[in-house]
Amino acid sequence: MIRDSRTKLSTRRRLLALLASLPAGYTRSAERKQTLPRITNNESRITPFAQVVSGYRLRFPQDEGSHPAFRTEWWYITGWLETSARAQMGFQITFFRARTGIDEENPSPFAPRQIIIAHTALSDTSRGSLLNDQRIARVALGLAGAEEGRTHVWIDDWSLEQDGAAYGARIAARDFILDLRFTPSQLPLLQGQHGLSAKGPRPESASYYYSIPHLKVGGALAHAGTRFSVGGSAWLDHEWSSSYMDERATGWDWIGINLDDGGALMAFRMRDAAGATFWAGGAFRDARGVRHAFEPSGVEFLPVRLWRSPRTGTSYPVAWRVRAGPIELMIEPLMDDQESDTRASVGAVYWEGAVRATHEKKPVGRGYLELTGYGQPLRL
Amino acid sequence: MLTIKGLTKAYGDVRARQVLQDVSLDVGRGEFVAIMGESGSGKSTLLNVIAGLDTPDSGEIVFDGTDVTTLDDTARTLLRRDRMGFVFQAFHLLPHLTIAQNVRLPLDLIGVEPADATRRTRAMLEAVGLAALASDYPRTLSGGEAQRAAIARALVHAPALLLADEPTGNLDAESASQVLSLLRFQVRQHTSACVLVTHSSAAARTADRVYVLSARGLTMQAL
Amino acid sequence: MFSGRWALLKAVSGGTWRDHPGRLVLAVLGIALGVALGVAVHLINASAVSEFDLAVRSLAGEADLVIRGPRSGFSEALYARIARRPEVRAASPAVEIEVQLPGRSETIKILGLDPFRAAQVQPHLLAGSREAVFELLKPDAVLISRAAADHLGLKAGDLLRMQIGVDTIAFRIAALLPAGATRQRLAVMDVANAQWRFGWLGQLHRIDVKLAPGTTTAAFQKAIEREIPPGVLIAAPQAEAERGASLSRAYRTNLDMLALVTLFTGAFLVFSTQFLAITRRRAQLALLRVLGLTRARLFRWIVLEGAVIGVCGSALGVVIGCALAQFGVERLGGDLGAGYFGTVTPGLSFDSGVLFIFFVLGVAFAITGAALPALGAARRAPALALKAGDEEAVLQRLTGWPGLLFIASGLALSQAPATDGLPLWGYLSIAFLLTGAILVMPRLAEFVLSRLPLLRYPPAALASAQLQATPRQVGVSLAAILASFSLMVSMLVMVGSFRDSLATWLDGMLPADLYVRAGSLGVTGYFTPREQTLIKNIAGVRDATFIRTQNVFLRSDRPPVALLARPLAPGKSHPALPFEGATRLVTSRGPPPAWLSEVAADLLGVTTGALIEIPIANTKHTFIVAGIWRDYARQNGAIAIERTRYVALTGDERANEAAVYLDPSAATDEVSTRLRAAFGNAEGLEIASTRELKRSSLAIFDRTFAVTYVLEIAAVVIGLFGVSASFSAQALARRREFGVLRHIGMTRREIAAMLGCEGLVVGGLGVLVGLALGWVISLILIHVINRQSFHWSMDMYLPWQALALLAAALVIAAGVTAVLSARRAMTGDVTRAVREDW
Repeated sequence: MIRDSRTKLSTRRRLLALLASLPAGYTRSAERKQTLPRITNNESRITPFAQVVSGYRLRFPQDEGSHPAFRTEWWYITGWLETSARAQMGFQITFFRARTGIDEENPSPFAPRQIIIAHTALSDTSRGSLLNDQRIARVALGLAGAEEGRTHVWIDDWSLEQDGAAYGARIAARDFILDLRFTPSQLPLLQGQHGLSAKGPRPESASYYYSIPHLKVGGALAHAGTRFSVGGSAWLDHEWSSSYMDERATGWDWIGINLDDGGALMAFRMRDAAGATFWAGGAFRDARGVRHAFEPSGVEFLPVRLWRSPRTGTSYPVAWRVRAGPIELMIEPLMDDQESDTRASVGAVYWEGAVRATHEKKPVGRGYLELTGYGQPLRL
Repeated sequence: MLTIKGLTKAYGDVRARQVLQDVSLDVGRGEFVAIMGESGSGKSTLLNVIAGLDTPDSGEIVFDGTDVTTLDDTARTLLRRDRMGFVFQAFHLLPHLTIAQNVRLPLDLIGVEPADATRRTRAMLEAVGLAALASDYPRTLSGGEAQRAAIARALVHAPALLLADEPTGNLDAESASQVLSLLRFQVRQHTSACVLVTHSSAAARTADRVYVLSARGLTMQAL
Repeated sequence: MFSGRWALLKAVSGGTWRDHPGRLVLAVLGIALGVALGVAVHLINASAVSEFDLAVRSLAGEADLVIRGPRSGFSEALYARIARRPEVRAASPAVEIEVQLPGRSETIKILGLDPFRAAQVQPHLLAGSREAVFELLKPDAVLISRAAADHLGLKAGDLLRMQIGVDTIAFRIAALLPAGATRQRLAVMDVANAQWRFGWLGQLHRIDVKLAPGTTTAAFQKAIEREIPPGVLIAAPQAEAERGASLSRAYRTNLDMLALVTLFTGAFLVFSTQFLAITRRRAQLALLRVLGLTRARLFRWIVLEGAVIGVCGSALGVVIGCALAQFGVERLGGDLGAGYFGTVTPGLSFDSGVLFIFFVLGVAFAITGAALPALGAARRAPALALKAGDEEAVLQRLTGWPGLLFIASGLALSQAPATDGLPLWGYLSIAFLLTGAILVMPRLAEFVLSRLPLLRYPPAALASAQLQATPRQVGVSLAAILASFSLMVSMLVMVGSFRDSLATWLDGMLPADLYVRAGSLGVTGYFTPREQTLIKNIAGVRDATFIRTQNVFLRSDRPPVALLARPLAPGKSHPALPFEGATRLVTSRGPPPAWLSEVAADLLGVTTGALIEIPIANTKHTFIVAGIWRDYARQNGAIAIERTRYVALTGDERANEAAVYLDPSAATDEVSTRLRAAFGNAEGLEIASTRELKRSSLAIFDRTFAVTYVLEIAAVVIGLFGVSASFSAQALARRREFGVLRHIGMTRREIAAMLGCEGLVVGGLGVLVGLALGWVISLILIHVINRQSFHWSMDMYLPWQALALLAAALVIAAGVTAVLSARRAMTGDVTRAVREDW
């Protein structure tokens, strides 16, 4: 009996095949007493990914945890740190979860159903470019994972975990170690419509998205043999989706600004192949806590200054004029070179950096700017 | 008994050196002939040709009625074995045989009965005065004794012709005269002919006739 | 000054080589051959070992330690525990299996790994190709190495078919591994895939560990000692490479010895050539001594001649050796066909150090060969040299005592045990015995020859007298014949005994009529219990017994030992194995019995009645050694235990092999066909009748040892060469004698007969002593060399017919050689020799 592999089959045949050939049960013993899976073909079975649907209400703290049925998810913390010597730097800690859709019946704990990716970066002006690191591993045997029901995501010795009301992150990167504690001072900010953030004209391109701005940061940074106490403020984004990007989208620009008066602003736009905006959005919460959401037409991103990366040759607009509703801000980076090469893990190069927001030349806040899809179009 | 007519022999291809030119000789039974000549005149060559060890370019050698030049190598060897005896200047006893074994060698080659051979060997040794040294090896003998043993070997099978090549060349005067008289005595005793090649006139004087070998051939010399 | 030396050189050496170029060429070739063989063997071995080393390292990558389990693997929970430890920077888990390729009698190694982890520990394996990494996650995908692609003629996009059980399953080759990844024939797939598809759920075979900076491997090893279950090893990659190299060490040493023997032969050729040359020039050399050439100078010049031969020969040998190595590797593989380095295709690296060493060795041997004659020539008093009969004096010094001493030491050394797994004392004892015999020969010859009977036939009588008077002179011929013939006899006896023992062993190991296997080599070929019942129920099958094969690590520095789970026949307390010595009855209350093969017993240093611990299913179990059996099939050792016990300990009811007993009326072919049909003509099924198995086993044996037969012929040729040289030398010295004999009236034929008799007697003596010596050496080969190298025992079997035939042939050849060698000495100008004053 020769078994060949065919990579193309219709969904219906797949389902029928799935029903027809359930693997025989096996017992784990010192010698494997199992029978081999009697599958009729080798192709992967894709169980449908959960979709973002309107009408879903985000619940806290449950939705702070992982949503494994969705294809993509991330917990993104960005912020500013200050050492006791008054040195200012930006930092980023990101944990991604990706559902591969592969090997869903494989009973092995190594089956690569979920993959965790983590990025971290430190923007130090004395250095002039980012110190960064990345990790990638599959969820197996508890060595990496994302817990449901609360924020707890880890990969080997990098972790982000909810601890009571606060969050703790421990990142032992190649060149530095971050040991930070984030204490929320505000309630989560739901993005889009009750947390459903549209990313394009079609209803399918959307995500569930909330942010927690104005996190108080405390903890330590170890670098070059020295341990510094640090403090600052941060912004946490938690977003999950199965179909994030519209077909036309090649990338996006995003800002998340902690305003000095206690307000918070998030704005983004999706770009098409020509570089023009074909979708945008955002939300603003003022100092009193009143929330305003923006329509796509209400958000404008105007590049002010370009910077060319000496490593990849990509030009990034690193300074912007952003208009979101009535708000108008000038965005200036802490330093130009905050490009992150994470091709090894997510296969993309992007720009993620600490920025200062000014209005009519007066500083109004600090936050982060994210530029994706400038070198190569981004595919999620 | 031995008749040689018009013998010629040359050596070498590139510069042919005529060694023997028109040599003729007659030797009868019991005759003792000496051949003298300068070195390089071909005396040894003449002996080799007579013995059948070498073939002449032209000429005739009749020995006891047989023309030696018409025989093949094996026949000449057999002829030599039965009817000729050789004495060399350097004695040439086989070093790993005793004197007795050396002397009886021709008899063994011919195939004489062992008992007979033993008897004849003993007689021969006594005749040359070496009976006491019969079991010794050649290297313990003096020059004179060795040559006497060689003569014994040459005569033990009673050959018709004895060929001697400078037999006294390596001996002192006393041994030389001893050997010569022994030679002559034995020749007379067995009525063999003897052709002696030498450059010593003293040795030649013991012969019946003396010839001189030169480029013109053999010329008899007055004593 | 220089021109003076040049003139001297011409005086000493000139002319000889021009006159006899043949002998010179032969001597050069002799050295060249020895050097070539040594170089080739060493290059091939070095390349193979380094290739193996590379292969091991390419899998281990930058790992500091490798945790390895036996074929049955270990629990994946161990990986989780190891990876969590703070000392571990990265840990890469893998499933490692040899899988049979259907339709080919070879396997491919499958490495099921986690590409994300592998990127940290073995980065060059996947070399950061992200697309390949994600392709690998797909359940039907596999990556293969360039070597595998070339060997199998596949490319990306093709299907790779492998055998699992008796069925074939195909994977899609998603891409090729990068060029620098590995030189092995390797296929890589995702670890989850490998676990699931090949039936290894819950198990892993290896973990490659990279430690955090500041942690030493020793400290880490100690820290996790208790975590590691029995039967699992933890070692640095270097240790693994050494383990692989140790496999073939004995085999390689054997080949090295072979090269040494050839070098000795080359030295002997140089010796005989120089001996002859010096004899020929004796007069000239003596004259030079009279004129004032010092002894030392003369010695140096002659040795220099030998050195020149050595340099030419060695240079030629190095070139030939490199070419031979290239040829050997391409045709035979890195182990010259012995099967040690299966999946590794070595590329040759020409280590200039090795080449230089062998070059120097060749020159050294040539110089040694020339030294003895040179010594004789220098020592000879010139006056004596100007006369005849002095050769005996030179050899007078050689008494029999050193020879006897060597023989005694040789016999004593043969009792010594192996050093480090190599029979070095055994090799030395053979060398001593040979040397001793050669040294004793002159005395022995003297003794025997002085008792030769008197003969009537004159040539024979003269021959007898000659031999009696100069026994030592024939020493060279005797030595040549003795050495070559005794080596030939010993090889013949050893190979004959081996073959005979193998045939007997096959009879004992294959009592059934038919043997059925689910794939010959891979771990993935097996019969399930259902299939086993199926086999039993085939029409014509009276009974079938099943054997399961696994492997266990008993010592960390040795490769794993095979574990055979064999059924016992009803009523029998031991399995049907060819036992050596008594077997022990085991009570049911004591530890259960295990039967060890000779190799395994030697490895563990145990005998019948000892207790041993075997790790089965990651637990140590105590067994008692109930018997030791002979096994020619598994070079690393084998342990047999009862199958029922194995199943009880592991729950594994699978079998690798079935021994099928047929009904008396059933025909083998019919049952074979029915068996095949019952399995749906699966490609993976192998059926062989006992007759076929025996025939093919012996055919493989004959092929393997074909090389030795070639060597034996070479040995004989060398022996005759020695005879020829010696007789030529003597003939030259005896030119005057021959001249005298011709004058006295001995025909050429009679002189030839005399020489022929001398040759026959010398040959006969040499052959007789050679037979005896060869028998003794074969004893050492069988009981010491083979035993200590490979731990095999053999029963001695003397191939009388072949030996008698060879002996007769050699004696006649010696006679003929003697006549031919002296031919020149009997030409016409020998008559002029009598005129020579020297």
